[in-house]
Amino acid sequence: MSGAPKRVKEGVRTVLERLVRASAFERILISAAALVLAVLVGTVLVLVSGRMTTCSTAAATYFGVGFCYDPVTVFDRLFFGALGDPMNPLFRPLEGEFAPPFRAGWSPFNTAMGVTLRETTVLVFTGLSVALAFRAGVFNIGTQGQLIAGGLASALGLLSLAPVVPGGLVGSLVLVPAGLFIGALVGGLYGAVPGVLKAYADANEVITTIMLNFVAAQIALYLVSNYFKRPNSQVVETVPLPDAATIPPVVFDPRTNVSLIALAVALGFAGAIYYLLGHTALGYDLRTSGLQPAGAEYGGVATKRTIVASLTLSGALGGLGGAMYVMMILGNFQIGVPAYGFDGITVAILAGNNPLGVVFAAPLFGIIKSGSIVIDTTTSVPPQLVDVLRGLIVLFVAMPEFFRQIGHRVLPEESQTPGGDGDA
Amino acid sequence: MGMRELPSIGRRRGSIVGAVVLAVAVGVVLRSVMGGPLSGIVSKGALSSTLRLSVPIAFAALGGIFAEKSGVINIGLEGHLIISAFVAIYAVNTTGSVWIGFVAGVLASTLLAGVFAVVCLEFRADQIIAGLAVWLVALGLAPFLSTVIYGSVNASSSMSFERITIPVLSEIPVLGALFDASPPVYLLFLAVGGSWYVLNRTAFGRWVQASGENPQALDTAGVSVRRVRYASVLLSGVLAGIGGASFAIDLSQFSGNGQTMIEGRGFIAIVAYLLGNYNPIGAFFSTTLFAGLQTLQIQLQSGFLPSSLVQTIPYLTVIVVLALVGRTRTPDAAGDHYESGEE
Repeated sequence: MSGAPKRVKEGVRTVLERLVRASAFERILISAAALVLAVLVGTVLVLVSGRMTTCSTAAATYFGVGFCYDPVTVFDRLFFGALGDPMNPLFRPLEGEFAPPFRAGWSPFNTAMGVTLRETTVLVFTGLSVALAFRAGVFNIGTQGQLIAGGLASALGLLSLAPVVPGGLVGSLVLVPAGLFIGALVGGLYGAVPGVLKAYADANEVITTIMLNFVAAQIALYLVSNYFKRPNSQVVETVPLPDAATIPPVVFDPRTNVSLIALAVALGFAGAIYYLLGHTALGYDLRTSGLQPAGAEYGGVATKRTIVASLTLSGALGGLGGAMYVMMILGNFQIGVPAYGFDGITVAILAGNNPLGVVFAAPLFGIIKSGSIVIDTTTSVPPQLVDVLRGLIVLFVAMPEFFRQIGHRVLPEESQTPGGDGDA
Repeated sequence: MGMRELPSIGRRRGSIVGAVVLAVAVGVVLRSVMGGPLSGIVSKGALSSTLRLSVPIAFAALGGIFAEKSGVINIGLEGHLIISAFVAIYAVNTTGSVWIGFVAGVLASTLLAGVFAVVCLEFRADQIIAGLAVWLVALGLAPFLSTVIYGSVNASSSMSFERITIPVLSEIPVLGALFDASPPVYLLFLAVGGSWYVLNRTAFGRWVQASGENPQALDTAGVSVRRVRYASVLLSGVLAGIGGASFAIDLSQFSGNGQTMIEGRGFIAIVAYLLGNYNPIGAFFSTTLFAGLQTLQIQLQSGFLPSSLVQTIPYLTVIVVLALVGRTRTPDAAGDHYESGEE
């Protein structure tokens, strides 16, 4: 019949196939699809839970049924609320209204954006931590514990260092790097424990790292409540760090507890880990033992030492995340550390375990984390919704075959056709 | 035919060593802190508490055995415990019946297992990542729903199981605890024996073992590997669900702070069945060791050691046990996707 549209369709399919075959592009597609699917399932969850609770007036009515929660509002708050509502309500390109896209008076340095970026900073570290271990074929579920260990150590270390270090800029130049170093060191040591156990005693690291999460939380509780508790405080926390030991804010309101310097350091680490994995001998060892442990061993890689190295480095990154959390966000150490380590699993998986991917996945999840605070203050939907999304995203990214099968349905009979004209 | 011999080669050593070392370790701990608050450690109350605390871990371990024996590593048992615990409390509160709540909890866990099975068997997901996802989803979902319904991550119910006390037998010192317990404890005894029987003495049990050891052979014998694995994973959901629902109903509450009230019991269950070498009876006894430590921990908390340090004992023990037992001989095809040639 009409040859031209068919040829166009062929052409589009060829391009799509070629793009899909490129592994990086495929991964990005899968991550994006997983995110969309998680939001869709989240929408259903919001609707269903909106029927399970009671409210005086329905927040939304769809198909003649009233719901207590409106998913449109929820996801609007989640994504745009986390950016400080940048969109101009008059900007409706689909309806032919081309007002400026950004709302007048919106500044990229608003409070919500500050929260988003500070969450992003910590998530870059935890995401890198999980991704690095994954690349070496090791499941580090213990980033949470390593973050607690590193954060606590850096707080205690800084508190004991502070009296002997002058204040002001000189103090900061000593204390901030010292705090990061202590966090990385202790997080790394705490990560080395399951590494040694896996390498030399064959103890499954998924279980040991999860157990060590519990141990870290309990030991932190013990140490802070018994030896380092701030007197007369309602919560279990240490005394505040001196100003010189906190990371100074740039541009943002100091109350937002975000520092672009910290974010830059985090991004620098992403670049460094990317370089380490791709361009160093250790990185080569890590990657080959992740891809093909037996082959790596045969090829002369000391697999046992590589396992310990990967978990130590991974733990150090988790510990750095903890130090950042303590020095940038809290300004002391408190019991009840948010689940940055588990969020790091989602970030790493969204990023396809690529350090540069983490740079994109961390802000995405940072928005969701920050948005959950907006949801909590502006809607009646529980902020734990975000924890559900965290699991759903991991679940969907874990099943690339699902998206491939959908892809096959959308673009039928491709690649099976003899001749394979896509390659021609 | 000859499939029955397949799985039992050279797997006994590790677990026996582990069990002995653990028993010695527990003995040493007991002796060093004996006296004072611990004089009542070998009492009817302690045994009774150990059995109660065994329920969630042992049921999850039994479930894990079926799944992993069939070739699907279900690392998301923790998630099954969490979701069944919450749904059970919710259903008890809405229906006013303990047993309907129990069944609802089991159904919720089975549903989650169904999702996990589809994801692994249809969409060839990495079993470890999918299992972690199941845990993370439940870890988010249960506190979310609790907050939606009760306005708090914690929920309680006013009902619990009625104790079943068997006359005369329950009078026996210490061991009388075995005959004076809530229904889930009796159910656990049945499930341990039943699981052992099913795995070792029935055709289904042989299929499960073959599906994990040599799926090609099972396929050749005309049994669908996929169906056996679906059945096994669903069964793991049912068993873990019984554990989670029983635990929550027994305590008349769900608490969803942090790691929820389950606090890693699903992961401890995995270590319990590794230590028990995939044998339901072995898994039960290693569970009682961990549950015994939790009982001990509760008793020590009222004593002279800081409770936060005492609470690390079960987790540290799990790590020590894993290191001592090392890699048990997992089923050959565990973790691998199997594609039947016929499709």
